[in-house]
Amino acid sequence: MALFPVISNFQYDFVLQLLPVDTDNTMDEVAAAAAHHSVGRRVAPRPDKVVRVRRQGDEQFFPRDARLHETGIKPMETLEFIFCDR
Amino acid sequence: MALLDRAEWYDIARATNWTPKYVSQAELFPDLMTGAQGVPMEKWEVYDEPYKTSYPEYVRIQREKDAGAYSVKAALERSRIFEDADPGWRSILKSHYGAIALGEYAAMSAEARMVRFGQAPGMRNMATFGMMDENRHAQIQLFFPHEYCPKDRQFDWAHKAYHTNEWAAIAARHAFDDLFMSRSATDIAVMLTFAFETGFTNMQFLGLAADAAETGDFTFASLISSIQTDESRHAQIGGPALQVLIANGRKAEAQRLVDIAIARAWRIFCILTGPSMDYNTPLEHRKQSFKEFMQEWIVGQFERSLIDLGLDLPWYWEKMIAEFDYQHHAYQMGLWFWRPTLWWNPAAGVTPECREWLEEKYPGWNATFGKCWDVITDNLLNGRPELTAPETLPIVCNMSQIPICAVPGDGWNVKDYPLEHEGRLYHFNSEIDRWIFEQDPARYRDHMTLVDRFLAGKISPPNLLGALIYMNLQPGEMGDDAHGYSWVEKFREPAKAAAE
Ligand SMILES: [Fe+2]
Ligand SMILES: [Fe+2]
Repeated sequence: MALFPVISNFQYDFVLQLLPVDTDNTMDEVAAAAAHHSVGRRVAPRPDKVVRVRRQGDEQFFPRDARLHETGIKPMETLEFIFCDR
Repeated sequence: MALLDRAEWYDIARATNWTPKYVSQAELFPDLMTGAQGVPMEKWEVYDEPYKTSYPEYVRIQREKDAGAYSVKAALERSRIFEDADPGWRSILKSHYGAIALGEYAAMSAEARMVRFGQAPGMRNMATFGMMDENRHAQIQLFFPHEYCPKDRQFDWAHKAYHTNEWAAIAARHAFDDLFMSRSATDIAVMLTFAFETGFTNMQFLGLAADAAETGDFTFASLISSIQTDESRHAQIGGPALQVLIANGRKAEAQRLVDIAIARAWRIFCILTGPSMDYNTPLEHRKQSFKEFMQEWIVGQFERSLIDLGLDLPWYWEKMIAEFDYQHHAYQMGLWFWRPTLWWNPAAGVTPECREWLEEKYPGWNATFGKCWDVITDNLLNGRPELTAPETLPIVCNMSQIPICAVPGDGWNVKDYPLEHEGRLYHFNSEIDRWIFEQDPARYRDHMTLVDRFLAGKISPPNLLGALIYMNLQPGEMGDDAHGYSWVEKFREPAKAAAE
């Protein structure tokens, strides 16, 4: 368990934001933390969608239950948060 | 005794080069300070300044200028222009003074470097007047806002901003340190006077003078025009220096300096002038959009002066022009959303009528930036103002020190331009910002952005409150919506009318 800063690039938002998360967080938990700073503030909620996480530039998303420390994500790496069907 | 005409003695009097006997030429004029790039002293003697003046002439004209600006100020002191002006206009004044006044002292130091280390006698002459100009600009832009301090504490930031770690002040210092304070005499001639002043200061001052007159703030209009007449004179120091560099086979290096300076200047003006023109200026006083202004002055006029000098357009020219469509809209949203971190109160500038204007000037605005403003407006309408306040920091660019941002909504294109250098990960707003870093990594690598400082534990408590304390923003100084959110009511009326 350790505090771990990453960068949130949230779909449809206008700015990159600092996102302090924890190495034990799952990708779903990281996505929820990112959504807190974008959805309902500048991005309209989409209750029918889930937010998935990937590295900037990747096609592939991380598994939703993958924990941060298992992913190889580096501190202050820019992650994209994308609305998906599942 | 009759005096000679200036033209009869000027050329002889300004030829002040001499051959040193007690030290070597290289000791008297080290290349590091001159930036001559190995072009020998005698090659600089063809330098011909387009604007010539003598010290008595200079003093007489400057005295008249000062008398003019100060007497307009005195005459209007009892008028109610300040109280009656739209709050958006007062915000323009505050952001301008805080970002510019002390920057003029930096420009004065830069001019002084050309006075001492300029290779051409004409450059040293012109820069002597330029140095005095910049001193006047700092003084007058501190004196004028001082009168407003008792009425509005945010005006104190005209003097205070540069002495703090407020993020926009860090951004201004970073750019001005790079372009004026830590460069050689020749680099300064190219980067400050040619690129920054001919390209951009002209624009900020011409645009602002027009807006001020339109708003009825004749004190500010006369102040700004007074400064502008100095700028258009000493901005001419750079052109002949570029000619010497190009004639002596140094075009590539000259081009590189110009490209860096224009890119850095563009960022500053994009965040300062862009939101001023398209959001803070009340709708009825807007003459041109920021984009139209940029196209007229930068694409129409500055492009011509680059080509006329024998330079090329910067490699990123098309990319920069593409940014005219969106970058300042993104900056505006950042300024407004992180408004407690400002020393002025940003106007939202997004009433239904404003949005119509924005859509007309920037087709697609409603489907992009408008989407975010929709959410913000709804939160204010529904009594959820806490959702319009930030709870974390934006990531700022390792070059511009301004948040990394771009188009939201349907045109979403926000992207980090990262770079790993010597084991440290840097983040940039664009390829252009990253390219500047790559030109001289050692120059930039050790600087810490506000976010870097936060992560290094320099900000406590480690939250937004700690950041505000770190930025030295006191209660009564922190920014809030310029109109106290009254603009939101304009959305309630149609909603009510539709329900009835
Ligand atoms: Fe100036
Ligand atoms: Fe100047």
